[in-house]
Amino acid sequence: MISQRNLGLVAAAATLLAAAPLSAIFDRSTWLFQSTIAVAVVAAVAALARLGRAPRWGQVLAMLGGLLLALTWLFPSGAELLGVVPTPATIGHFGALAEASLVDMRTHRVRVPDTDPLLFLTVLSIGGIAVLVDLMTVGLRRPALAGLPMLAVYSVPVAVYVDSVPPLPFVIGAAGYLWLLAADNVDRVRRFGRRFTGDGRGVDGWEASPLAAAGRRLAAVGVAVAVLLPLAVPGMTGDLLDRFGSGTGEGAGGAGRGTASQVDLFSALQGQLNQGEVTDMVKVTTNESEPFYLRFGTADQLRSDGFRARPPSGTAVNREFGPTVPDREGITRSRYRATVEVTESFDMPLLPVYAEPVQFKLNGRWSYDPNQQVLFSNRERSSSKRYEFEYVRSTYSPTALRQARPLPTEHSLRRQTAAPTVPEVEALVDELTQGQSTEFDKVRAIYDHFATENGFSYALSTEGGTGGQEIVDFLTNKVGFCQQYAAAMAWLVRAADIPARVAFGFSTGTKSDGDTYVLTNRNLHAWTEVYFDGFGWVPFDATPAYGVSGSVRSDWAPDLDAEEEEVTPGPSTTAGPAGSGSGTNPNQAEEGLEEELSGQPSGTGTPTRTGSSWLWAVGALALLLLLTAPALQRSALRRRRSGRRMPSAVPAGVATGGASSGDHRMMVLADADRARADAHAAWDELLDTLVDFRQQINGAETPRATASRLARDTFRADTEATSAVRLLGRAEELARYAPDPHPGEPLLPALRRVRAALVAGSDRRTRLLAAALPPSMVLRWRGAVADASARLMSSYGRFRAATLRWSPRRLLTDRHPR
Amino acid sequence: MTQQTRDEVGGLLPHDEFRAVGDAIVTNIEQVIEGKTATVQLALAVLLAEGHLLIEDVPGVGKTKLAKALARSIDCSVRRIQFTPDLLPSDVTGVSVYNQETHDFEFRPGAVFANLVVGDEINRASPKTQSALLECMEERQVTVDGVTYPLQTPFMVVATQNPIEMEGTYPLPEAQRDRFTARIAMGYPDAGAELAMLDGHGATDPLESLRPVSDASTVRRLITHVRQIHVADALKRYAVELVTATREAPDLRLGASPRATLQLLRTARAVAALEGRDYVLPDDLQALAVPVLAHRIIPTADAQLARRTTDTIVADLVHRLPLPQEHRRSSYDTRPTTDSGRARYEPRRA
Ligand SMILES: Nc1ncnc2c1ncn2[C@@H]1O[C@H](COP(=O)(O)OP(=O)(O)O)[C@@H](O)[C@H]1O
Ligand SMILES: [Mg+2]
Repeated sequence: MISQRNLGLVAAAATLLAAAPLSAIFDRSTWLFQSTIAVAVVAAVAALARLGRAPRWGQVLAMLGGLLLALTWLFPSGAELLGVVPTPATIGHFGALAEASLVDMRTHRVRVPDTDPLLFLTVLSIGGIAVLVDLMTVGLRRPALAGLPMLAVYSVPVAVYVDSVPPLPFVIGAAGYLWLLAADNVDRVRRFGRRFTGDGRGVDGWEASPLAAAGRRLAAVGVAVAVLLPLAVPGMTGDLLDRFGSGTGEGAGGAGRGTASQVDLFSALQGQLNQGEVTDMVKVTTNESEPFYLRFGTADQLRSDGFRARPPSGTAVNREFGPTVPDREGITRSRYRATVEVTESFDMPLLPVYAEPVQFKLNGRWSYDPNQQVLFSNRERSSSKRYEFEYVRSTYSPTALRQARPLPTEHSLRRQTAAPTVPEVEALVDELTQGQSTEFDKVRAIYDHFATENGFSYALSTEGGTGGQEIVDFLTNKVGFCQQYAAAMAWLVRAADIPARVAFGFSTGTKSDGDTYVLTNRNLHAWTEVYFDGFGWVPFDATPAYGVSGSVRSDWAPDLDAEEEEVTPGPSTTAGPAGSGSGTNPNQAEEGLEEELSGQPSGTGTPTRTGSSWLWAVGALALLLLLTAPALQRSALRRRRSGRRMPSAVPAGVATGGASSGDHRMMVLADADRARADAHAAWDELLDTLVDFRQQINGAETPRATASRLARDTFRADTEATSAVRLLGRAEELARYAPDPHPGEPLLPALRRVRAALVAGSDRRTRLLAAALPPSMVLRWRGAVADASARLMSSYGRFRAATLRWSPRRLLTDRHPR
Repeated sequence: MTQQTRDEVGGLLPHDEFRAVGDAIVTNIEQVIEGKTATVQLALAVLLAEGHLLIEDVPGVGKTKLAKALARSIDCSVRRIQFTPDLLPSDVTGVSVYNQETHDFEFRPGAVFANLVVGDEINRASPKTQSALLECMEERQVTVDGVTYPLQTPFMVVATQNPIEMEGTYPLPEAQRDRFTARIAMGYPDAGAELAMLDGHGATDPLESLRPVSDASTVRRLITHVRQIHVADALKRYAVELVTATREAPDLRLGASPRATLQLLRTARAVAALEGRDYVLPDDLQALAVPVLAHRIIPTADAQLARRTTDTIVADLVHRLPLPQEHRRSSYDTRPTTDSGRARYEPRRA
């Protein structure tokens, strides 16, 4: 009892320690106080339940009840009895909190503020984990399993901080887990009574046995590897758009799965981007020689917390779309044709197209929103789609753009493109646009502000948000990546009363052959589009060109950092199509980007990028394999053993028995050998089956004794199984000790009979375990590991002895004996 | 001397015949001794293993009775010696006396010149007399006045001894007990057997009417058969390990001798044959460990203080000692190779 209570306390403390990684998520530590309260309540209730000798399920119910009370007290709806007793209103309140937490996860970026929904979710999860850990540690005495729920906490920051995971919280969490294991072990040892050393000194329970030292060392190495490995591997190559989302790890799966009307572009993208390695997303073939960015999304709704996408609305694509604005002087339009092949890794309810498509070869389930210029579907997804479309490419002469008038105040776009007032932004815009008469010059003034000479630089490592404060921060720090450049410019332009929005898409990728570009997740990009009356949406890419692989500039928005002379009329590729994986011709821009992405110089040009999410996938796969391997190996072994020809009758050669001819004798001998092997195979299989079904195996027990013990204790009334197991015992004993090893009866049916009897006689858990994680295999593996480590230790010992022999001190003492 | 040499006896008997003879003897003895089948079988096994039997128990549990019944069941020469303090060694071995008629010394054989010698209450004799008997048991011959006289085959001494300390007894020194192949305790009969004893033995002694069911030559054939029972190499190793374990057990001051190993295996062969097998099982060795080994070993003072009898110590060892990895490991046996349990019992050699 006492030991159980201690173990329960350790379980609670370990849970809290394991929750340490969450400190990287929250801005303040309110979550920790609240979680501590919840875990403490759970632990106290569990201790009380055990004091009352409640059964295991009773303990679990009690803990869940305690957790509910704690949650009620921490997150009251106001309708509680006595402040802690939940009412239906409380439950409804909890539901609302849970729902709101999903929203909060998307709207806030790390580190998140203390919002009630997020705190609720956190306390609920940690409380739940506390219940699980307690159950596994104290109830089931399987503390090793408790690592799984603890690991769940671990995975949250890993999912959020894609490239830099703070190590300390993980060390703390791992320490909690180790403590739990150690406490359990000590408790087990204590049950044997007091330990003494050779000189009769009593050993404190916490003093580890010297035998355990090797195991402890192995465990420590394992933890160190687990913590350091994700840090050593270059972080998530993260692109850009993942920073748009608030990212609590939820986005990808949750929001991305919806239809186009509810898709959260940022979160969906983040999911795509979380795949750390470079994956091909889109292949596009066009007859345009220098195509501008391929786009698939628009974020034109701006609130104080940043840009977000509106649900698109449009008509089915099986008609021709006209250009959004009429032809006029200063706009050059040419029509091109493009074919797009989307790979499996780009999976969204949106399809990428070049701006201003006019005609599609695509089924009617897809619609086009001419305002947002996005191709969307509420029924299909982009994955593995192939389609053709014709589009119009407009290029604008700066002179013509200067003629654009301010948009009439009653224009519908005005309402859609208002910007919340942020004083710092207003001040900057006023300063920048002062003296600029035309709309275009105002926009250029804002665009030009983001030049390197104004101190702006590119870095992926910053935290990216598009809310008011983040934009102000960005404008002050002047370090960021495309998301911030695109959003900041759009915000500033809006602040100057000109409609602007953020466009999503791919920068120009690698030209693989002919006119085909391969676009990867590394080409994902965001830029600004500004609406000029009479011209429509005109793209501006304010992100420094060296930061974008495949950046394209135009003469109305030239590369500000390039030499003046190099600016050629018409759209020009300043950075050229840059390779993501091939790296055959790494130019400066690409190299810079790769350095940004991997955090280390790209020397060879064949970077192997493994992001942490990729690591996780591999880890999960390995875990799965590891979990199923014993079962697979077990059944393979059983098949091999059964595949042996089990002896069915005494062969004629033996029946005649004599040793008259040498030939004959040989035959009998060979036959005897086979019969022996068969019997051994059957016996080994029987033993393994017994281990699988938690029957005892005793190395000092003879086959006959084992068989009669089973017959007596396990099978009792089952006469068939009794005689079957006796037959197996007899066959093995003959094979081992008799000159003639033929049992005279088939062994395979007996084996099956015994197994059936064991299956029938064991509870469901045992059966499940025998099928899924056969203890015989687990033991075997454990034995193999123990053997290996023992060998390692002894060879290390030999190595030490050998080196000691040559140590100078030893040599000296040898030469000068006392 | 009408004694047959072993070579004259036939080869391996069919198992059934062996078993039939064995069963007949056991059944016969059981007419006299109620409810002691295992003891009776063990006694017979010791006979067939060419060993000697020590029956040690409190008075009145049928020790003498068992010895006599065994002797009666086999049609062979039987002598009974009632050991007393004044019994002389020459009474046991024999003596040369001067024959007036032939004017020569002539050997008058002592009590050991028989196939079965029942030595009752052996602990009552003086150590000198005891030694004389023990000499004969080992040598299977008697030397008097420089002349050596071989004893008969089969030759078996069944000695009884009373463990309760009594005035004027000379309990067999532990070292001397090594000569006995097995020591058995009779034990009290259970209630049913005792009731049956009252019914059957109340009026007449059934021993009087006991008829022999076998004879000396048959027993010799049986003995030859026993010698040919197959013992797998692994079992020989197991026997050695078992005996070695007694030598290394921390509870024991004196372990079992190599003679014990020999006799353990021989008795195991006999037991196997009596069960109709032509091969020995580890089960045989395990079952025989206590009767064959326990009386030869001496526990340490600590173990004695802890009231651990030699029986429990040996039983413990048997329980803990893992079976040898008997067969070439089959290709399907993937159990880990290190067997730390075995290593512990490996004899320590310098
Ligand atoms: N198990 C038994 N079955 C039959 N008779 C028994 C048994 N145990 C003791 N007796 C009887 O008890 C008496 C004493 O036997 P005895 O052999 O003289 O004892 P011990 O030699 O052990 O002192 C005998 O008459 C015998 O018939
Ligand atoms: Mg007597």
